[in-house]
Amino acid sequence: MELVQKEHDRLSRKITAAQGLKSVQSTIDLLQSARNAIAADPSQAAITLAKLQNPVKSSFDSINDSLKETHSGLNKYSKSLDKLFKDRPLPSTEHDVLSSQEHYINRAIAMHLLREGQFSVAATFLSEMAEKKAIKKQQEAGLSATDSAASLLDLDEVPSGEVRKQFATMYYILHELKENNNLLPAIQWSRDNKEALEARGSNLEFELCRLQFVWLFHGGQHQQGPSHGGRQAALEYARREFHSFLPRYLREVQQLLGAMAFCPNLQDSPYKNIFNNPSAWADVAHSFTREFCSLLGLSADSPLYVAATAGAIALPTLLKLQTIMKAKRTEWTTENELPVEIPLPPSYLFHSIFVCPVSKEQTTDENPPMMMPCGHVIAEESLKRLCKGSRFKCPYCPSESHPREARKVFL
Amino acid sequence: MAAELTSTRLNAENHLLLDQPLLRLPHELARRNFKSVQRLVEREKEYVLPALKQTANASLSNNQTPDQALAALDAMISRMQGLKRKMENLHQEEKKIHEQSRKRIQHLERLHQIPSLADVKYDNWARVRLDRLIVDHMLRSGYTESAQQLAHEKGIEDLVDLNVFVQCQRIAESLRCGETKDALQWCGENKAALKKSQYNLEFELRLQQYIEMVRTGHKEKFVDAMIHAKRYLAPYIETQSMEIHRAAGLLAFPPDTKAEPYKSLYAFERWTYLSDLFVRTHHELLSLSSRPLLHIALSAGLSALKTPSCHSAYTSSSSNSLSTTTSVCPICSTELNELARNMPYAHHTKSYVESDPIVLPNGRIYGQQRLLEMSKKVGCVEAGKVKDPTTGEVFNESDMKKVYIM
Repeated sequence: MELVQKEHDRLSRKITAAQGLKSVQSTIDLLQSARNAIAADPSQAAITLAKLQNPVKSSFDSINDSLKETHSGLNKYSKSLDKLFKDRPLPSTEHDVLSSQEHYINRAIAMHLLREGQFSVAATFLSEMAEKKAIKKQQEAGLSATDSAASLLDLDEVPSGEVRKQFATMYYILHELKENNNLLPAIQWSRDNKEALEARGSNLEFELCRLQFVWLFHGGQHQQGPSHGGRQAALEYARREFHSFLPRYLREVQQLLGAMAFCPNLQDSPYKNIFNNPSAWADVAHSFTREFCSLLGLSADSPLYVAATAGAIALPTLLKLQTIMKAKRTEWTTENELPVEIPLPPSYLFHSIFVCPVSKEQTTDENPPMMMPCGHVIAEESLKRLCKGSRFKCPYCPSESHPREARKVFL
Repeated sequence: MAAELTSTRLNAENHLLLDQPLLRLPHELARRNFKSVQRLVEREKEYVLPALKQTANASLSNNQTPDQALAALDAMISRMQGLKRKMENLHQEEKKIHEQSRKRIQHLERLHQIPSLADVKYDNWARVRLDRLIVDHMLRSGYTESAQQLAHEKGIEDLVDLNVFVQCQRIAESLRCGETKDALQWCGENKAALKKSQYNLEFELRLQQYIEMVRTGHKEKFVDAMIHAKRYLAPYIETQSMEIHRAAGLLAFPPDTKAEPYKSLYAFERWTYLSDLFVRTHHELLSLSSRPLLHIALSAGLSALKTPSCHSAYTSSSSNSLSTTTSVCPICSTELNELARNMPYAHHTKSYVESDPIVLPNGRIYGQQRLLEMSKKVGCVEAGKVKDPTTGEVFNESDMKKVYIM
């Protein structure tokens, strides 16, 4: 990388110097002055022209020299590029399953744009996609012979207007929350989706209301710190809203109200964590985004981002694998599974993974994990192989059991 | 092995796999630019030097009036001025390209200063990369407007090659509409580079022109077609003899023939084929990958993330949208789920579960600590009971049973 940078610097310097252009200008100057001389004194024409020969030639030579310099600069730069990317060819096009599924990719991109809040780009993208599809349809109507089943997809493959509206709502709420410290739209949303949120075991609504309480306590819009008016407003808010939380969050509500008594020296009270939490707003915004996406069946982080980044991390390993396989002329034996382990950062592991300690295979729907009465877990196939239909000893402890007693578990 | 499973080490040099075209493409453009400058200078040199010599000789031998000498000089001056103007334009272009290269090198250099994959800076860098990949994908699929808008919104115009792809799309589109002019002009501009190409785009284009002439069915057009073939197709006789013979045979068959291979020569699908061939040749010339970089990244990423649970018939306990304690896995998320269906899943040699797994009577395994905490949070569960976050069933705490995962 350093080499590339150095060569490029050198090359750019040469180019900004523009030696070639200067030489061209000097050639023009030579010709012009000769012309003027001849115009002034036609009798000297022959001598002037004869004298002109060599300087013009040499100035052309200097143009060529500067070109040569640029050329060698370019060559050096391309060598440094070659060196940087040596042994790193672009991955080959072999296992190309994705090209046939472009509509899924486009859908994922459109969703990604919506998630990022790039609504205008997403709108352009969707309309361009619709346009292209319309043209395709027309062409296919024209050439009615070609079969249209394969490529034609209906527009409902792409995120519907409903989803778009949902994300617009989300961004509106987040904007209000972050920029204006206005929690009311978020609270309203969490009330509208109360049942779904409760089933998920989410306490988003309470968190939002608690933050609203704290915000009022600190003086609402003015935020001049705890004051009498603020306390009053907070208390009123608590009376009005908190009774519905009482069965579930009795302790927390008691804490909030108990803090009232410590109002003058909240800093030293046991309640200071609730009232002076600098990351509270960011936390609430984050958990709001998560809940919102989860209710739509979506992950909180853009899957496209996670997948593309994981891909970039995985590529070097896969590339190495490819070269080794080519050198040894072997092929994958496991069709459904990558042949190598790919080191990903811990935040990229989402599911629990169970590898059978006997067969060293990952369990699947066809070969699920089974738990023996002693609490050890192995894959179903390993279990069958071990027991041969009768009582058998657990491979990890002395207890014996019958295969009938083993139970399927879900990770 | 387990240590490697959760590696956060960042090897920047290896990480640049996807970013090769980022530097290669402007470099190819710079080379092309340089070649045009060279050609211009060469042409003027070949004109001016002999012309000057001739004028000088003529005036020495006195068979030329001073006026004629002046006229000759004026012609030379105006040609040189033309050269200067053209060179200035190319120089501007060149400077722009190198400025772009510089910015791109800086962008890649920034990656080298990031210590680990867990760093926030890496996150930001990767987001820019994703935007670049998306723009690349959009441009290649012809969604130019969206690509421009996205690049503009994100301020990454210097990191993507809008103009190159727009031009490529325009020519490909004109081919799809049955127009060879633009493509042939492009071939003319890149004659030298095309010699090294593995595709024979120019021959195919000329052949198509020939086919179109024959398609008309007029006798006089047939003569034109034969002249065309002699001029443009015959030079390829060494490598393309089969095609050329077929082209000759084509004269005997009407456009509605059912006989192969002539039927497919007449077919309209050939235009689509030519369009694809052009795109392939174009990408080869500029060292662009033949498929969108986003596809390459995604297919690697989907596999690396995918687990057998992602397309399982049973809801996974560890990662689903039904409970707050878990985040949704990106492969299980509706956006990518279908896309990943035919991908192989990642290979693991070691189990990865929470350190204190317990099993509930319904067979679901959770981390004990996390399950208890969650049950406490969910208000509607009485003390001494736990709620299965996936199915919503409620069990006694005493029903939790320790499970051993090796």
